[in-house]
Parts: sequence; C-alpha cells; structure tokens
Amino acid sequence: MKKLTLLSFILSLLLFIKPEEYMAAEHGSLQATIDSMKEGAVLKLENKTYEGNIVITKPLTIIGSEQTVIQGDGTGNVISVKAAKVHLKNLTVTGSSMDRNSAEEYAAIKIYTNHNIIEHVTIRNSFHGIYLSQAHHNTIEYADIKGMGKGEIAAQGNGLHVYYANDNLLAHNKIEGTRDGMFFDYANNNKSYDNTIINTRYGLHYMYSDENIFKRNTFTMNQGGAAIMNSNGLTLEDNQFIVNYGNQSFGLLLLQANDNSIQGNLFYMNQRGLYIDQATRNTIRNNRIIQNQIGIELWASSNDQIFTLNRISENTIPAVTIGGKGEGNAWSHHGKGNDWGSAFPLTDLNQDSIGDFPITYHSSLHQLLEDQELTNLFLKSPAVGIYEKINATLNDDEVMFKDPHPLVSKGGSHSSLLFAALGVIAVLILIKGRETLCIIFGRNGKKI
Amino acid sequence: MHYIWKEWKENIRGKGLWLALSIIALISISILVRSASLSFEKGFYILLINLFDTIIYFIPILCLFIGAFSVFQEKEQKTLIMLLTKRDSYPSFLMRKSTGLYAVVLVPLAAWFFLYLLMLKFQFALDFKGYLIFAVSILVMAVIFLQMGAAVGSFSRSRMQIIGYTIFVWFYFFFLHDFILLSFLPDVTYENVKFFSLVYFLNPLQAVRMFLETGMGVYSFGHMSRMLQAFMWTKPAFFMLGNGVFWLAVSFGAAVLFNRKEGYE
Repeated sequence: MKKLTLLSFILSLLLFIKPEEYMAAEHGSLQATIDSMKEGAVLKLENKTYEGNIVITKPLTIIGSEQTVIQGDGTGNVISVKAAKVHLKNLTVTGSSMDRNSAEEYAAIKIYTNHNIIEHVTIRNSFHGIYLSQAHHNTIEYADIKGMGKGEIAAQGNGLHVYYANDNLLAHNKIEGTRDGMFFDYANNNKSYDNTIINTRYGLHYMYSDENIFKRNTFTMNQGGAAIMNSNGLTLEDNQFIVNYGNQSFGLLLLQANDNSIQGNLFYMNQRGLYIDQATRNTIRNNRIIQNQIGIELWASSNDQIFTLNRISENTIPAVTIGGKGEGNAWSHHGKGNDWGSAFPLTDLNQDSIGDFPITYHSSLHQLLEDQELTNLFLKSPAVGIYEKINATLNDDEVMFKDPHPLVSKGGSHSSLLFAALGVIAVLILIKGRETLCIIFGRNGKKI
Repeated sequence: MHYIWKEWKENIRGKGLWLALSIIALISISILVRSASLSFEKGFYILLINLFDTIIYFIPILCLFIGAFSVFQEKEQKTLIMLLTKRDSYPSFLMRKSTGLYAVVLVPLAAWFFLYLLMLKFQFALDFKGYLIFAVSILVMAVIFLQMGAAVGSFSRSRMQIIGYTIFVWFYFFFLHDFILLSFLPDVTYENVKFFSLVYFLNPLQAVRMFLETGMGVYSFGHMSRMLQAFMWTKPAFFMLGNGVFWLAVSFGAAVLFNRKEGYE
C-alpha cells in the first residue's frame, strides 16, 4: 500500500511539471544561453539590450519584456530560425546587414522552417523585416516594422518578404517606410489579414504567387497600393487603398494577373483606383472607387473582366480604356451594373434600382494619357472638364465604357448642401447692405 | 503702420473680409465634419488635401475682389489723389497699400487656421510640419491673388471693370491656362519640356498645389522617367517661390504702369 501511495504521489507530481524556464544569464552571450536550453524550453529576456546575431536550432520559446532589444552586429540576419515550432514574442530586433551585394538577402528575423510563431516584435534598422524562406505554416502577428522611409527605397528591403513559402498567416502587422510592405514571391495559399502599410513603394507586391487571401488590410500613401503581377486566383476583400497618389501611382495594379476576385474594397483618392494591364477574367464586385483621379484604367490587352455592383463616383475620369478596346470586358453582370454617382443622372421609373437606360461614357483624354505621361499632372485641373466638353462637340472622343444596367445612385453628395449653406451666408451678409457691392468691398464700410 | 491700421478699420467696417472669412471657416468646418470617419493616423493628410482642393475655388476670387476694391475705393473717395499730392508716389502708395492688405487678410486667415488646428487635434494625429506647409500654401496663394487684385483695382475705372477683370483672371488661372497647356501637350518633347514646365508652374494654383502635396509627402516622385525628371528640374518650393516673385513683380509693375483714375478721361 505504501509503495502504491508513493507511486501515485510521484505520478501526480508529473502533472505539475512545466517546460524548463530560463532567465537569460547576466553574463555570457545570448547564443550560449540558447544553445544550452533544452527543446521546448522557455527563455525570458530582461529589459536590456542583448547582442546578436543569434541562430535558433531547436524548438523553443523566447519572450522579451517591454524594453528587450536584440541588437545585430550588422553582418547578417539578427535572428535566424532554423528549427520548427519556435515562438518569439515581445522583442525589438535591430541591426541586420544592409549589404546588397552579398549572396544572401538579410533580415532582422529570417525563418527557414515551418510552424513558427512570431508575435509582437518591433523591427528597426534592418534590410528586410521578417523573411520567410521556404517556410510554411508560420504565423506572423502584430509585428511593427519601420524602414528608412521613401527617400531610401532602393537601399532597403521589404517589410515582410515571403519567398517560396506557403500556408502562412500574416495578421495585424504594421509596416512603414520599407521598399515593399509585403512581398510574395512564388508563395501560395497565404492569408494576410488586418495589416496596415504606409509610405512604401508597393504596399503589397505579389509575383508568381497564387491562391492567396488578402482581407481588411489598409494601404495608405504608398507609391502603389498593391501590385499583383503574374499571380492568379487571389481573393482581395474589404481592403482599403487610400491616397496612393503620385507619379504613376495606383490603388491596385493587376498585371498579367488572372482569375482574381476583388470585392468590397475601398479605393479612395488614388491617382488611379484600379490599373489593369494584360489581365484576364478578374471579377471586380461591390467595391467603392471614389475620388480618384482615374477610377479605372483599363488597357486594351486586358480581356474578360467583370465590373458589377461597384460604386464608381466623384473620380475626375471614372474609367478609361487605353490602347484600344479589350475583348469581353463587361460593365454589368446578370443585369446588375455599377453605381456611377451623380455625374450620370438616371431615371428609374419602374423602381427596380436599375436605371431605365444605359450609361455611355465618352472621353478624349485616353490618347493623351497613352502618349504623354505629363497628362497625369493635369488630372486635378478643372480644365480637364472643358477639354473633354470641347472635344465632345468636335466628335473627337471615344466610348470608354457602356454600362447597360447602371445602378441608381444611393449616396447623396454633400457638396450641394455646402454650396447651399454658403449661399445662405452670402445672402445674409449682403442683405444688410443697401448698395451691396461697394458696402461689401469698400467705401470705408459706410452705406451710401 | 498707418496704412495697416487704416486698412484694418476699413475692412472691419465693411463686410467683404467677413464674408470671405466666413466662407473659408464654413468650408473648413464642413470638411472636418465630413472627415470624421477617416483614420486617426492618416486622416489628417486626407483632410488637408480635400480642404485645399475645395478652398482653392474660393480664396483666389475672394482675394482678387478684396484687393481690387480696396485700391479702387481710394480712387472713389479721392483719398488717392490726396495721398499722391501730399508726398507719396504711386509705387510707394501701392507698396504701403499692399502691406496693409496683406496684414488685414493674412492675419485673420492665419488666426483661423491656428484655431482650426486646435479642432483637428481632437480628431487626428497632427503633423505640425505638414500643417505649416498647408498654411504657407494658403497664405502664399492669398498674397499672390491679393496683389493681382490690387493691380486690377489700379487699372480699373469702374466697379463693372473690376468685376470683369477679376472674373477673367480667375477664369484664366482656373481653366484657360491649363487648357492651353493641355492643347500643346502632344508636342512636348524632352527638348522643350523645361520650357513647358516653366509655363506650367506659372499658374499659381499648380505651383502651390505641387508644393503642398510634395511637402506633406502625399505626392511622391519616385522612379521618375527622364522626361519627368527634366520637367521637375528644381524643387517644388522653388517653383512656388519663383511663381510668387514673378506674379508679385508683374502685378506691381502692371499696377504702376497702367494705373488710371476713376471715371473716363
């Protein structure tokens, strides 16, 4: 009985066994501490700066404190993850090599393995932020990555670089001032949710990457919001492309990209909302394309796009086709077109929310846009309206799109209210004077 | 100083300045209300760009009117003759009058935009450098059009002429200047793009807009083509400065050369 009790006691102790927990040694290198740890151990780092670079070759967890910094020596990757199931949390990582002539591209954190979790890391002064190299099923969350800003685009790498890596989750990351915010190269089936990317070259850059899902991300003030090149079968939903605005800028570029679904996104104040070139069979549905200089720029090499249920309003030019007409581009689908805003007044006598007649948009600017890049500098000028009108009277314009089933506009414009209010104020002030103009602007304020 | 004080007294009794300021205040507040849904971090820039794009319709014409009528009333009230016979030459009078005009219009405008900044503080993350660039853009635009207005007032003989000239100047810079350039655009080549750029930036609205948008970091000129590099041959700040100096000099010179008394001689 005594032996049995002793055995049960020993077995019950097993329940309380936790993974081995280490506090980083005051003296000695971080690498030595890591090397001495057992697999699955947890290393807690103090509020201090540790010297890198470090290589992790066994599954373990490293948790930092509020001011834990791992400082690289500027010669390579600061943290190299070469074992699966590594968990890094609450770290500031800085000082990777910035060498562009080396055989390898360096990063603050470079991951070569699968099933790792990186969360709440802050990255500064590094070439790439986090680099996934042939690494699958990893999770990168709440990373705060800051590059060197727009002036140093070419000298630095990307915020998140995903290379031949599949099935990763990238969520809630904030990236600012890097070359590309997120760069996917031959990377499939990745999911990117709720990331914020500002002041980069391309917020998102897909090359040869298929079947990725991209939701609720925000791109602001990049040279280009998202550039999707040679990539197919992507889903882009509920993202915001805002103020990607400059020389040759765009909210979303589809270049040689096919069978992508673009739904529920907001394209606001970009130079071009959507820029589609050599792309086929993309579905653009339920997006809001508002206040861009060009809503949609569609090149002739692009065929079989479907535009349906989008709100395309208050753009200087709602849509322009350049280089001729593509084939099979449809501006309505199953009897539902797009809402083109108050610039295209409609009647809806049968109250089915579909306009009673098709909308056809003519423009003469397409040739200038194609031939002369300086045309973009005039897109905010009110003179564009006059130019279009005069060319329309000279029959010097062409049909840009025809929406056979336009949607009746739901959103009202605030500008009419503003002008009404301005009018009221002007009248109220004027009504007090008898000789209006000279009372308003002069006569020493005396009524005459 | 006397001119500033005189100008101030005249303007606070009149309604032109208040009309102009109330329009600008109403537009600013309306845009602030409309921008409530914008993000805390970047909404600030979007608001300023939207505000500039709206306000650009009003400030030029209001400043043209204020400048023109202010000079013209000196003729109407015969104070101009008194001032000129006393001791002043016309250039000296115009210089003082312009200083007075700047002070009277720019100080309330700057005060309003300082107040506006306080309102923005509750809604967005502020970028003081960006806001300073915005304020400078607005003030430079106001100065240029006030001076043009003073020139219009100098060579106009009647209020109808003032209205005609003012609307023409506004229409020219708003529509005609860019329209003419658009018509010449197909002929622009690398060889003549610098000249084209000079003419493009002669339009104060374009020069000020470029300064504002690049200064705030909203408009980026990354990866420029050779043509575009030749077009942007100096910094936007210098384009705006050059534009300001050019139009102030031309307006002042035109006002001095072509100033005419009231009525028909």
